[in-house]
Order: sequence, then C-alpha cells, then structure tokens
Amino acid sequence: MTWYTKFDWLLFISWLGLSLIGLIAIYSATQGPMHQDTFIAGNFSRQVLHLVLGLIIIVIMLFISPRAYVQLALPGYLLCLFIALLTVFFGVEVGGERNWLNIAGFRLQISEFMKLGTILAIAAYLSNFRNATTSNFQTITVILVLILAPVGLITLHGDTGTSLVYIALIPFILFWVGLSYGYSLLLTVPALIAYFTIINIYVAAAISLLLVFAVFMLEKKPALTIGSVVVCILVVLGVQFMLTEVLQPHQRARVESFHDPSVDPHGAGWNVIQAKTAISSGGIHGKGFLQGTQTQLRFLPEQQTDFIFCVISEEFGLIGGGLTLFLFFLMISRLIAIAGSHKNSFAKVTIIGVASVFIIHIIVNLGMAMALLPVIGIPLPLISYGGSSFLSFSIMIGLCLNFDYYMRDFGLYS
Amino acid sequence: MPITENESQRTQTAVIVLQILITAIFAIMFGRLIYLQIFQYDVYSPISERNSIRQQIVNPARGLIFDRHGNLLVGNEPSFTITITPLNFDMSSIPLLSKLTGTEKEEIERRVMEARSYSFHRESRLLRDVSFEVFSDVQENLWRLPGISHQVEGKRSYPTPVRLSHALGYMAEVSRAELNSSPDYRMGDLIGRSGLERIYEPYLRGEKGTQFVTINAFGRALGPFNEGILDITPQRGVNIYSTLDTELQRVAEELLAGKVGGVVALNPKTGAILAMASSPDYDNSRLAGRLDRSYWQEINADSLTPLFNRSVAAMQPPGSTTKPLMGLIGMRLGLISEETTIFCAGGYQRGRFYRCLRHHGNQTIGQAIETSCNTFFYALMDQIVNRHGLNVWKEMMNDTGLGVSSGIDLTNEVRGIVPDSAYFNRVFGVRQWGLGDMINLGIGQGAMGTTPLQMAISTAAIANNGYRVTPHLISHIEFEDGQTENIVDPPVRIDWMQPNHLKTVQKGMRKAVTDGSGRFYANLRDVPVAGKTGTAQNPHGQNHGWFITYAPFDDPEIVIAVLLQNAGFGSISAAPVAGMMMEQYFYGEIRRPHVYQMMLDFKPAPFNPNNN
Repeated sequence: MTWYTKFDWLLFISWLGLSLIGLIAIYSATQGPMHQDTFIAGNFSRQVLHLVLGLIIIVIMLFISPRAYVQLALPGYLLCLFIALLTVFFGVEVGGERNWLNIAGFRLQISEFMKLGTILAIAAYLSNFRNATTSNFQTITVILVLILAPVGLITLHGDTGTSLVYIALIPFILFWVGLSYGYSLLLTVPALIAYFTIINIYVAAAISLLLVFAVFMLEKKPALTIGSVVVCILVVLGVQFMLTEVLQPHQRARVESFHDPSVDPHGAGWNVIQAKTAISSGGIHGKGFLQGTQTQLRFLPEQQTDFIFCVISEEFGLIGGGLTLFLFFLMISRLIAIAGSHKNSFAKVTIIGVASVFIIHIIVNLGMAMALLPVIGIPLPLISYGGSSFLSFSIMIGLCLNFDYYMRDFGLYS
Repeated sequence: MPITENESQRTQTAVIVLQILITAIFAIMFGRLIYLQIFQYDVYSPISERNSIRQQIVNPARGLIFDRHGNLLVGNEPSFTITITPLNFDMSSIPLLSKLTGTEKEEIERRVMEARSYSFHRESRLLRDVSFEVFSDVQENLWRLPGISHQVEGKRSYPTPVRLSHALGYMAEVSRAELNSSPDYRMGDLIGRSGLERIYEPYLRGEKGTQFVTINAFGRALGPFNEGILDITPQRGVNIYSTLDTELQRVAEELLAGKVGGVVALNPKTGAILAMASSPDYDNSRLAGRLDRSYWQEINADSLTPLFNRSVAAMQPPGSTTKPLMGLIGMRLGLISEETTIFCAGGYQRGRFYRCLRHHGNQTIGQAIETSCNTFFYALMDQIVNRHGLNVWKEMMNDTGLGVSSGIDLTNEVRGIVPDSAYFNRVFGVRQWGLGDMINLGIGQGAMGTTPLQMAISTAAIANNGYRVTPHLISHIEFEDGQTENIVDPPVRIDWMQPNHLKTVQKGMRKAVTDGSGRFYANLRDVPVAGKTGTAQNPHGQNHGWFITYAPFDDPEIVIAVLLQNAGFGSISAAPVAGMMMEQYFYGEIRRPHVYQMMLDFKPAPFNPNNN
C-alpha cells in the first residue's frame, strides 16, 4: 500500500476545510474598517501562523511511531498538570480567567492541551493494566481521578466553561470502555433533565419517566431503578432550588436569558439577542463576505472566538453554516468509525476521547450561538481564533491521523 | 487489553449508538439553523437593519433677528451638548461622567431617567451648553462611555449693547405637553417662551434635517449610510427684521435703568416700534443655552418683577395725557367747539368740588390742553356722560386704542381698562357708583388703566391725523430663497376724528411743550415737538409720571410714550426721558448731557409691589 492510500484524506480534508472556514471568518471578524486599530486586528495574521504551524505539526506527527505516544502519555499528562499548577500561581488574568501562562513571549493556555493529555493518560491506563475492566470499581475511580485532577486546577483558573468539557468527557469514555447502557443513560440523561427543568418542567418530567423506564428495562435491577427515580427528583428539585434560592437574580437572568432574552435584554440577554439576530438575518445566502452588519459593526461580542459561528451564518447564510456543520459531522463520524475499526485499545480510547471533546465543544458553542444553551464561553474547534485552542485541536486530529495511518502495524503490538 | 468476541460485539454496538447520537445532534443543530435563518429571517432581518442604521436629527440654525438698520440683534453661537442614547448607556459610567462634567451624580441620574422615559433608543440631550474643556474631556473618553455622544448646536447670542429683554424674549426647553402636541420638537429642544422668540417661533425654528448614519454596537457613528442619499438637509430658520432702532433703544434702556416703568417709541405712520423698554429688565443671554438656575430664580423672585413687560402690560391711569383725546371726543360730540371757553376758578363744583391745580380763568380746549386745566375736562366729562352716556365715551376711547388689544406681535399684552357702565356695575356693584367716578375719568384718573403702548397708539392717532396703527416689532421676514414677506397691517382710519378738531388738539399739544409743562425738558431747539404730560394719582404712594409726545409737529416721524412709576410729576420725570430720546432720534446724539445725567441719577420713590 502506498502512503497516500493509507492516509485518511477525509479526516485531513475536513480538518483543512474547517480551518480555512475559520480563517475566513476570523478575517471578516477582525479586518473590517471598524476593527482597525483595535487589539483584535492582528488576530488574522496570527491565526494564519497557527494554521501553518498546525499543518507542520500534523505532518511531523505522521512520521512518529504511534508507540512513542503511548510512552509519552503519562509524562505528558503530568507535565500538563504541572504547568496548570504553575498557571494557578503565575497565570495572566484575562477577563476574569487566570488561564494564560506567558512562556518565552507566547501565551499558553494549558487547559486546551491538557484535554489531550487527559485522554492519553486514560487511554494509557486502560491499555497498560490488562485486567482492567469497567465492571471493576477501581478502574472507574482511576478514570474519574485522572479527569477530576485537571478539572480542579482549571476551576482554580476560574475557567468553568472548560472544566465542564472535562466533566462531560466522563460518560463518553466510560460508555466507550464498557459501562453498561443503563448506567450510561443514568450518567447522561440527568443533564438533559436539568436543561429542560429550566425551559419546560413538563418535558423534564416526561424525560425523567422515560429514563426510569429505560433503566429498568436495560438493567432489570429494582434498586437501581429506584435510584434513578431519586436522581431524577433530585435533579429537578435541585435545579429549581438553585434558580430560586441559591442564584442571585442577575445570575438567574444569565441562566434563563438564553431561551428568553427579554429577561435581561441589556445584560445577559444582549449577547443572545445579537447572536440570534446575526444568524437569523443571514438568511439562506448570507449578507456576503465582509457585509454582515452585526459582525462589521461589532454588535457581536467575542465574535472572533466564542461567537464565530454567528459571523459565518450572517455573512454566508444557511449555506455557510450548513457546510460548517457538515464538515464537523463528517469529521466526527469518521473518527468514530476509525475508533470502531481500530484494533489497538489505546488508539480506540484516544480517538473516541478526541471525538468526544470535539462534539462537546460543538454542542456547547453552537448551542450558545443559536440560543439553545446558556452562554458558556468555549471555542468552536478549529474555527475560533486562539493559538492554544487551534493547535491543541490540530494535534488531536494529527494524532488520530497517525493512529489511522499505522492502524495495521499498531494493532499487532497490542 | 485482549479483545474478546464479546467486547468486539459491544464496540460495534457502541459505534452504532454514537453514530446515531451525533447524527441526531447535528440534525437538531441543522434544524435550528434552518428555523432561525429561514423561518425567523423576517423577524430578525429588520432588527439587524435597525441595529446598524440610526436616524439622527440634524438641528437647523435658528433664524436671526435684525434691527431696522440691519444690525444683528439676536444671533447664534456654538454651544456644546452632551447627548445620550439610553439603550446603549451603561449606568455604571455615571460616576465617570459626573467626574468629567463636574455635574452631580444625582443630577445626571435624574437626567438619564428623564431621557429614558422620553425614549429608550432615541438620542436625547443630557447636558446642554457645557464648556469646551468639558466637551473635549468627554470626547476623549467616549470609548469608555457607551451611549454617550456629543454634538455642536447653536445657542442664542446677543451681540448688541441693548438688552431688549422683553421684546426679544427668552427660550426654554419644550414642555411635555408641547412635545406631545407637536411633532416638530424633541426632548430638550428649545422653544421661544416669550417675546419675538415665541411669536415668530414657527418661522425662527426652521426645519429639522435627518441624517442616516451607520453606527456600531457602541452607538458610535461611523459615517453616512448609503453616501447620504436618504438624508434630509435641515432648513435654517427664517430671518426676521425688526423695526427697532438699536441706538434709540440703548438710550431708552439707559434712562430707565434703576427706575420702574416702560417706554414705547413708534412710527405714527406705520406703527413700527422703534424702541420698547421696560424696567427693570433681565439678561436674555444668561437664559440662553444651559439655564442659569440661580439667575432664573433670582429674576422670578425679584419683587420688581423683571420678567413683567411694563411697556405693554403695566396698567396705570393715564392722567392728563388723556386730555387731548377728551378734547377730540368733546368736539366730535358737539359739546364744545374750538372757541368754547370754560371758566376755571380752581375747580369744578358738581355735587362735590373737583380740584384744579390753579385758577386758569377762561380756557379754550387748546389752552386747557396747554395748561392741563382740570376744570375744563371735569366739565366736559360731566356733559359727555350726561348727554351721551359713559358707554359712548368708552367706545370712542376704544377706537383710539385704549382699553383694547393692539394686535402687537408680542406676548403678555394687556387690554387695559376703559370702564363702561357694565364694568362699574360689575366692579362697584349696581347703583354703587355715580357721577363722581365718571367725572374723574375726564382727567384720566380713577378706574382707568392704560399701558405705555396704548398711549403711544392713541398719540399716534392724533399725530397722523386720525389713523389707528397696528404696532409691530417685525417689519418683514426673509426666507432662505431670498423672498421676503411683509407682515404689517395698514393703519385704519378712525372715522369720527375730524381734521379741524385734530388740528386744534395738535396745536394744544405743541403749546404744552413750548409753553406748558413740557417746556423744560421736552422742547427741542430744532425740531418742533408736541406732547402732553400726565401724572397718575396713586393713592398708595408717589404718583406715576406720564409723558406722550410726537415730533416733528407738522410731519410726525416718531411718537413716544413714557411711564415712570412712583416718579412724581410727568413733566419732570417722564418728559426728560422722552426729550432725550427725541434728541437721540433726530440728532443721533445727546445735546443736553446735563439732562441726560440728571435722568441717570434720578431716583423715584421706592416701588411698593403690593400697592401698584
């Protein structure tokens, strides 16, 4: 087999396509006449640099034996934790989040790279300890510890959005490594119940009933079923209690404003209204490159990072937004397929971890932009501006490309 | 980890579950995108348009006011205004704004709330007429003050040395009622509140323009929208040309300073007001732009009521200045002729004794005017009311301009009082008044009230041989395209005035100046002046001095009526003022500086606002 038939072009092209879409969007978001002389004006050229750098890294990564990554997994994870710890003390504070570390002139956001580090550490743990299974309580505990250690540090950075990504990783990994269906449901569905408790309590109740029924049918354990009933009730009551008793009115407005921006039209609702306006006014064809009024006149907050999808949707309409969604779908679907067909368990876990991080970021970011979820500031993979974020996601894709490229050789060693 | 058959099966299921899951997730998101971009497009597209385009009102320059020689009386000068768009305003920047402008936080808060209640997304004025330093400070910090903007507007300036307080009038912010009733005003707009500013407001204000500008999220204007093709340019206000003579006005104001009273000088042929002064007055320039609150309170609280325009609103009995009119009425009614004499033995006996100032002996009407003999007019009035009735006399008085509105283009004019039987019945009660009340009217005392303007009009009717003029301050207005419009009503003939009667009365008034009570101060060497002094009895204090005059005698150009309250005899208080104005008018200078100085130093009796 020649190299180019072994290489996964689909994955690579979706990476390249998304990166280029990001570049165009960042150009539009930062190079309009309104943005001259602002601090974001230099973002485009820097992102070009990030893209070139990412491409070089991916190519270099292809020439490295996959076994090297297995050996690097644990040291890399520990290094990440160490840098994260340093960031807690020496970090630079930007917008209330102390998650940047100045290293030789570069600003490093370790929480981005640590996602991959954590995935690799879990993968290494699961493949090194041959007798580890998920029915084993110890295995689950170790996985939880491996995830919660970075969560703790990132929470100390003040970046709750990113720590949420790590937590959301837990059910995906556990499900992949063999957690039974009932338990998997029990881990994921309460989030859905909580979400609907905010929007519509009746839907939340219906989902709760479905969950209890599904858990009972899948597990056939009365105790677990009763447990799931308790979980459902606790989630609904807990969310209500949080909204009415714990949160201050302005915090509550922030949570609720995503589905009813009029609660606080000039505070938390402002972003939601402007983002919705940008996307909706784009229509089918969009307003045209550099013609989006919401973008060019800076009605969108954080338009080159968190709200970049609004820029795409406003200027390129349903066509641009749909294309972006399609490329993401292609990429993730491809990753899952590779993970399913791979023979090496380290690679399998790693690739699913990467796919999970991508899907979590996409759900949260697009959900926020399209006013389906509360505003949580995390980047859209490969598209949002940001060196750490872009390079971290590119390295993840590079790793998956590598594992896929060496699938046959790698499988034999396991 | 060995891959068992069981595990492989499980992996395959997990792949299918995950593929279904992400397909569902992407389907939901794509569905949401379609919902927003296709079904919600009509809702949000206009919002995005509105977001990026703002309609800005461009204020026109207010029309200018000129005097009769084309000198600028009221102009405009730049004034710096801080504006606010409440939608974008962040309440947390109030302290910064307060620091920059040196205004109290509470004051700014109050004004922000006011602007909010007016309109949330329209621009309103926050602080008017700030200093240039404050203006540039705010300008530098605009990036920290979302929703705050600035504009340069015009405010009224008064470049002449005259004040013309009441004639020009002041401006103030529009009231809520005016805002609601007229689409021409926005919150914070200034509107003429008194004087010419108010009367000619529709001309002076001009038409607002509209500018469509592209703005950003911070409300900052980036430039014209669509190269400004939709913009409407503002139309500047129309210039108005007054009939006032600045120099004459200056003399009148200087002479009235420190006294209480009013002066009106007008052209008897046209009714054009040449000068109009009321004292005490106030400074319009301190009410222009940002209202000087302490000054406003001061002039409102002043017991001498500087805002009160005495030249058109001070009602006092005309005293002896009514005698020429009495003569005209008497002759017209056939009660007397030019030669009819009435004997004055120091008074008139009719039920009681009505005093005259001295024994005049036999008097004709001409002599009675010259000497200001009371007896003659008591007797005449007695005959008028007995033979024709009070109401006939009242009608004729009304015809000359007393007791009726003059129609002057000015605010706050009063009608004055010329009583008829209905008036006495109402005020004193039916059968509670009698001959005495009416006979007193013959010498302009008692229940009669006229204003300096009305006295000037009635004097003009004598001077111009029987025409009633409509006094006016504005001769014409000039539109932007250069077209002018005259807005002067022609004089109306008073049909009962006979030329020979007028001649007699005119001669009497001429004699009053050459030989009578006006000879000391009102008689000019080169210009024949006619006039009549008057002293209105004031039961509460010092009498009020009147003087009416016109000149030249044979072809009158100017009529002056002067009222000085609590100043005593008209011959020594009001007459010198008119005399000095005559000198200024005819010679262009003051030829008797000692008289001028005497009048500057003249101190009337203290004015008691409760008893006048």
